[in-house]
Amino acid sequence: MSEYFNFVLSRTEEMFNIVQNEGHGSFWLVFLIGIVFGGIIQYTRVDKFEKIAGFAMGKDTIIPKMLFLAIGITSIALYFEIKMGYASFHVKPMILSGLIIGGIIFGIGMAIMGKCPGTGPISIAEGRVDVAVGAVGGIFAGWIFTKYYDVIFKPLMGPSLGKETLISVAGESATMWVFIYGIALILIAIIIPKMELFDEGDIEKLDDADRPDIKAAKDDEKFEVVK
Amino acid sequence: MTRRLSWWMGGILMSFLLLFTFSVFGADRPIGASTYVPYYAGILFGMDPKEYTYLQEIEKAGAWEGVMLLGALVGGFITSVFVTKTFRISVIPAGWKAYKNNSVVSRLLWSFFSGFLLILGARLAGGCTSGHFMSGMSQTAFSSMIFGGVVLVTLLVTGKYFYKKNEES
Repeated sequence: MSEYFNFVLSRTEEMFNIVQNEGHGSFWLVFLIGIVFGGIIQYTRVDKFEKIAGFAMGKDTIIPKMLFLAIGITSIALYFEIKMGYASFHVKPMILSGLIIGGIIFGIGMAIMGKCPGTGPISIAEGRVDVAVGAVGGIFAGWIFTKYYDVIFKPLMGPSLGKETLISVAGESATMWVFIYGIALILIAIIIPKMELFDEGDIEKLDDADRPDIKAAKDDEKFEVVK
Repeated sequence: MTRRLSWWMGGILMSFLLLFTFSVFGADRPIGASTYVPYYAGILFGMDPKEYTYLQEIEKAGAWEGVMLLGALVGGFITSVFVTKTFRISVIPAGWKAYKNNSVVSRLLWSFFSGFLLILGARLAGGCTSGHFMSGMSQTAFSSMIFGGVVLVTLLVTGKYFYKKNEES
């Protein structure tokens, strides 16, 4: 037992040291990035089951609106950030069967759980017991994936077809294409009609000025409260 | 102070965070949020990194995300207690009660199962909503667009057939 405890302790210490010495921000900077990440997600309430599963049910569109807006703005700004030498590309490989099989499994899990791996922990932090149980399931998946990576999962993911992006393919007209891509995403975010599924327990916490139900009635938006 | 940010404010702030994290002034890397799970699994199940190729592959990314996750837990806790005041212990989400059932056992079993699927799927694809959708699509990566498209369709199809159509109350 104490041997196990020591292992966990030394590995955790190793985790902190790797981050501190890796050159991708100090431990405290990475920790701070996490705090802001968790803060934004909690403050916008997009970690709620009603937002993610609600989107899957076609009753809530806050998630796609926020996501597409964030990607749209970032894609244009990041392109120039990289061009000026302040950042670089970190593109994930095109492993076709991994992306498709993984995407399907992930999509099913996301619809049922009503969380994704980034929003889940934030839900746990605000007291959701069911998500904590989901995290145990996730840890088991991580264990099985690691254990059988060489024999099952790595072959299943298939070979990498490169790390192409719209920017790398477009060549000289990349700037134009990035603008088209970014602006199209921002427009999609704005055009998607705003719909909300809302937990009654959260509405009570809001001031009248922030009440989404009152605002939705005024602007003629689709709104539904669940108890 | 408002107790809830609008979707556009959230989108803009998330964009700033992504740009900062990508930049050399920040972490010079993208944000990701699913590699930490097998990394933590390796720690909790007492797996020796020397024996598993996957643990060696994710040694650095897993550690980085592992620390970021600790921050996200603290950040989420702080806002839920002091800003949005939405911290409370609950087992069944209101939306699940309205569109699935009232059973604690059912919700917890499905939670365990879907949590398992989420991580298995994310690891097969090499990323999740953060790594692929947000960070990958911001770089206009084709791999991330494929993942995003497949997830979007599967999510909507599952939502349509898994949940009840109308609220019964």
